[in-house]
Amino acid sequence: MDYSKQIQDIAAKLFTDGKIDVFVGYRMNGFDDNQVPAVITDPKEVSTLVFTEKSVFNLSNYLKADHTRNKRVGLVVKGCDSRSLNLLLTESQVKRDKLYIIGIACEGVVDDKGQKVQNCMECIIPDAVVYDEILGTPKGKKDYIVNADIKALAEKGLVERREYFEEIFENCIRCNACRNSCPLCYCTKCCIDQETATIYNGSNTSSSAFHALMTWSLHLAGRCVDCRNCEKACPSHLPLHLLHKQNEKVIFGNFQNHLAGVEEGDRGAFYKYSLKDPDDFIM
Amino acid sequence: MEAEVKDKIVSIEKPELVAPPDWKPVIMGILCNWCSYAGSDLTGTSRMQYPPNIRIIRVPCSSRVDPWFIIKALQTTADGVLISGCHPGDCHYISGNYYARRRFLVTKELLKMVGFHEHRVQYSWVSAAEGAKFAQVVKKVTEDVVKLGPLHLYKKENFSK
Amino acid sequence: MSFSTFVTDKAGLQKLYEAIISKYETYAPVEKFGKYDYKKVSSLKECDPDSPIAMTMSVKPLFFPRSSKIMKYEANSAGTSIRETDQDPLAGQRVILGVKHCDARGLQVLEAVNKWDYIDSDFLKRRANTVILSNRCDKADTHCFCTSLDYDVENLDAPDVAIVNGTNGKIYVQARTEKGETFLKENSSEPMANRITNDELQMTNCEEDLTKQYEAFLSSFRLKMDYKDVNERMAKRFDSPAFEEASRNCVSCNTCAFICPTCHCFKISDEKIKDTGVRYKSYDSCNNVYFTLEAGGHNPRPAKYRRWRQRSMHKFVYYKERFGVNLCVGCGHCAISCPVNISIFEVVNHVASAPIES
Repeated sequence: MDYSKQIQDIAAKLFTDGKIDVFVGYRMNGFDDNQVPAVITDPKEVSTLVFTEKSVFNLSNYLKADHTRNKRVGLVVKGCDSRSLNLLLTESQVKRDKLYIIGIACEGVVDDKGQKVQNCMECIIPDAVVYDEILGTPKGKKDYIVNADIKALAEKGLVERREYFEEIFENCIRCNACRNSCPLCYCTKCCIDQETATIYNGSNTSSSAFHALMTWSLHLAGRCVDCRNCEKACPSHLPLHLLHKQNEKVIFGNFQNHLAGVEEGDRGAFYKYSLKDPDDFIM
Repeated sequence: MEAEVKDKIVSIEKPELVAPPDWKPVIMGILCNWCSYAGSDLTGTSRMQYPPNIRIIRVPCSSRVDPWFIIKALQTTADGVLISGCHPGDCHYISGNYYARRRFLVTKELLKMVGFHEHRVQYSWVSAAEGAKFAQVVKKVTEDVVKLGPLHLYKKENFSK
Repeated sequence: MSFSTFVTDKAGLQKLYEAIISKYETYAPVEKFGKYDYKKVSSLKECDPDSPIAMTMSVKPLFFPRSSKIMKYEANSAGTSIRETDQDPLAGQRVILGVKHCDARGLQVLEAVNKWDYIDSDFLKRRANTVILSNRCDKADTHCFCTSLDYDVENLDAPDVAIVNGTNGKIYVQARTEKGETFLKENSSEPMANRITNDELQMTNCEEDLTKQYEAFLSSFRLKMDYKDVNERMAKRFDSPAFEEASRNCVSCNTCAFICPTCHCFKISDEKIKDTGVRYKSYDSCNNVYFTLEAGGHNPRPAKYRRWRQRSMHKFVYYKERFGVNLCVGCGHCAISCPVNISIFEVVNHVASAPIES
């Protein structure tokens, strides 16, 4: 999966045609074989753009940044990225006519060791769902697989699970990198940032990490697209996907196989309801 | 009618912690204004008894309950949470409890996964005419929480036991 | 004043560590989720004093914790009363194993600001009661540039005891401060670590061996710069558009500041429920959008590049002007932990090499 040449050509053409002001893609980080996002405003820098299976970041996160707001943007999206972009479009955060989207029929990205990452192994929609042009051959939808870590956790006892998660919340340093790396967290003032209001948490302790991460994951439930930008950003390498995948599993299983961002105009599982939703857990 | 506390009640999530002999569970009840709150009123006016461990908060609709209300309650005084709203189809705002129902399920399952016993957070539909049901629900929730013992997880500094 | 150097081998060092752990309250790098962090340990098996350079946090939280209680208070009808907080859990006599030289230097740099104006007695007390055993790395990591900064890594006196690997499996244990000297004298005796010796026969060629090792260490650095030049050039480039170019990828999280061995900004917040509350002093970061937000709603640093300008200028210009040292120790933690691998090295060099706008 190497589309570097095609993306360079498309970006150069977009700049010469005057269709975009900014192009958001990937470039090499300059010290090893990993890549970092590239926010390009100068057409001369187009030759630095690359796209391989090491292009891990979800670039739709950069649509909320200073450089791209209210500008015409060219953007590269993989399958999961395009779902989050779809949600941003639905939630009126970006305008479709200001975007030129290069979709990728993704074959999965790899981690530092060259192994395919877990979310790509379990990926349901590898092809971009929203695009102006698509690179690669679309492979179509796959079946939903329940995350292996969630399955393993469900088999553990209550005390064991509590101990495991206590460790997670203790090792969280509350840097908010997960929240800031999430393309769908675009609130101008996040509820977990409000340290002056007494009901929120200003301290940097495990109890406030619990509060922040739980609130954050529940606010993303039914919207999370499993791009794992949060997990890649975490400096403590916490398995944050557990929280999101658990919500995804419950939502997919109970709410008519709902998956976030697949269809245009679909706002997320908590913005709609069905009369057939499960009721047996309520007295 | 106060829930009876026998000797040596341990917290189910942290078996190494034993509840003090005078421990009494605190349940936070979040009730919708139009059905459950009126229902609880009826329980009182009909002179039916229910355990006094519950502290009731009134909200306009069960869909007003943000998941972090529950989290915050569990992090402070509460050992258990009861959320109650109108029966499906009876919502004063037509569809509020349908939206709430989805959120309840996801919140419940997530809390279960991170190590809270599933009986810590319970839900019920109680209409304004169901005074007896409300008394029953509170009794059941209190009994459940007494069995689970005090909650020690992620308590805020001034509430850590 | 010269301090003693001991020579030992790997097994001897392990014995010394074991003796320390059994005798003192010891902190050492412990692995969690594939990253290392300093935790209290009770046996050598739990920890790895030779942990890789890339750790979750530096040694800073053991002296300036992520969140510390300033006071507790209670409001009642008679008014508000302030209650004492619990005893400081970090104030006791303790030993930290496996610290990196850059981390230890970070504490030295922080001491300057903690002694200035308001004297932070908590920080100074924690430092005075702690013995730091530091490992000199054998090889630089991808983002390391400690040798390019204003301190001598080889003869650094920030750690109390430095452990340097020699050739042929020899390990030199050097006291660097008086505290370290007494500490080593107390703990290297029989039978605690009988393989530690400062026998003259063993010490032959020590100097030569160490110099050779240090040269090998120096040659492993990918990043090199002239800090004096950077200091001068940065001071002239406050208005440089290069800050904007360098900070484009930033997602404005707090990671770099939280894990930095020298960042020391904090916020005060209350956690009050009903009538009782706790006042906390917790980490804050100048990369946070709300860091400079004023009560009236005005934010002097709303744009990313302004926050990055503050961060890099504070590290290489302002702090240098006030205290004579750079507020950067070249550990490279920020670049490793950053979600998009922005390195302070790249940012300052990009700005320093940019032309001045007329």
